Amino acid sequence: MSNMLSGKIALVTGGRGGIGRAICARFLREGATVFAADLTEEGTLSGEAESRFIKYDVTSEDDARAAMAKVAEECGKLDILVNAAGIEIEKTVEQTSLADWNRIFAINVTGTFLASKHALPLLRQGQNASIVNFGSYDGFIADPGLAAYCASKGAVHALTRAMACDHGPEGIRVNAICPGYIDTPMLRSFFRDVGDIETLDTAVRGVHPLRRYGTPEDVANLVNWLASDEARYASGQLWVLDGALTAQVQQMRI
Amino acid sequence: MSTRAAIVTGGGRGIGRGIVDRLLTEKIRVLTCGRGARPSDLPSTVEWLQADVSKTDDAESIVAEAQRKFGDVTILVNNAGVQIEKTVDKTTDADWDLIMGINARGTFNMCRAILPSMERTGGAIVNIGSISGVVSDPSMAIYNASKAFVHSLTRSIAIDHGPNVRCNAVRPGWIVTAMAEDAFALAKNPAAAKADAIARHATGRLGRPADIANMVAWLVSDQAEFVTGQCFTCDGGLTAASPLQPGLF
Repeated sequence: MSNMLSGKIALVTGGRGGIGRAICARFLREGATVFAADLTEEGTLSGEAESRFIKYDVTSEDDARAAMAKVAEECGKLDILVNAAGIEIEKTVEQTSLADWNRIFAINVTGTFLASKHALPLLRQGQNASIVNFGSYDGFIADPGLAAYCASKGAVHALTRAMACDHGPEGIRVNAICPGYIDTPMLRSFFRDVGDIETLDTAVRGVHPLRRYGTPEDVANLVNWLASDEARYASGQLWVLDGALTAQVQQMRI
Repeated sequence: MSTRAAIVTGGGRGIGRGIVDRLLTEKIRVLTCGRGARPSDLPSTVEWLQADVSKTDDAESIVAEAQRKFGDVTILVNNAGVQIEKTVDKTTDADWDLIMGINARGTFNMCRAILPSMERTGGAIVNIGSISGVVSDPSMAIYNASKAFVHSLTRSIAIDHGPNVRCNAVRPGWIVTAMAEDAFALAKNPAAAKADAIARHATGRLGRPADIANMVAWLVSDQAEFVTGQCFTCDGGLTAASPLQPGLF
């Protein structure tokens, strides 16, 4: 498959992060015009990026308005919005301060809300418009010490279904992808307490039925499909992408 | 004497026996059954019938015998089940017939046999499913699928046979029975294996037959009269957590 997104205009929040970069790169290869919205031009990974950069703090409504105004001015429409910006806070509820809670919800939930809200007028001008949100398998089950993160992803799941119902009649599709273990800076941070991803590699692979964890490119494959016209009847769904990790019961060491 | 009477299939040992014992404490009269002879330690107040729920005639006999002994039978607990540790490509026709026969067809047979009278008298059915019918245990393919059948049948019976019949399922997790103890005994380091298993439970222990029996007793009580068509997980938190726990590597 190639040129799946020919002629489409896309905006990706967190577009210079681990997964966001892979999505932008894929979208460009598929023929889309891509706006990468992120806090800094470099994001959480170094390296050149060909997408058009928009400085964007997802917690800021002014930034959301300005980003959409820039897309409107340059392209006049938007076909694809990917809400990939997100953070993780490794704390239990008791350890989580109100500031922590507000920060993670501001980015993961409010950020998705604001970008979607202000993108809607442009998406109505698009063709088979598609919003792809970032949920998580942690919106269904829990990882220890990630309480606010799990809750924020559950909120994204519910928001995804709600927006799909409200805006389906306008021809706008809304889906969420729910990744499991994907090799990103966020995952490496999660492993920090018990080692690092290299030394844990064998054990982590072993727990996955596919015997590996995911890559940003794996995520981009699914986001690309959901953004494309191939997925024109797909809406309101939560797409778990985890190498079958959560299809299984916890495996005890017998 | 209470007017309530129950059939619990497979109540000779394990979870089923826990359910039988618990229902007795609720002053409920119980008939249970199994493919073998009456267990010697089964309380004398419990009726026993040697029967195979996978056979239509046996299922009808179980219901008829319970009604002959007790009159109206308003509680059915479909607990009888067998498991097999095989992947699909290793599973024979005989394996399929055994597992699906008891776990799936047996549950169907018993429900079909009791529904005409239970729709008239009112009553509650509780099916024993499994967390394995939601998420998979490896090398237990047909068992996992048979339990998903039980979950789905539970919903269908609830919506087709209300308002007088309620039907729910309990999905047990890792319950300590003779079968589980055998698995630990086979481990290279039984103590470490058990410690690892316990660490994966938010409750800090494995399940007991009484834990499942408590939920069954509640589901058949009048406290649950608005509860139907649902499957309830009782697993000490096992499936609420990710299967990948770096802290346990």
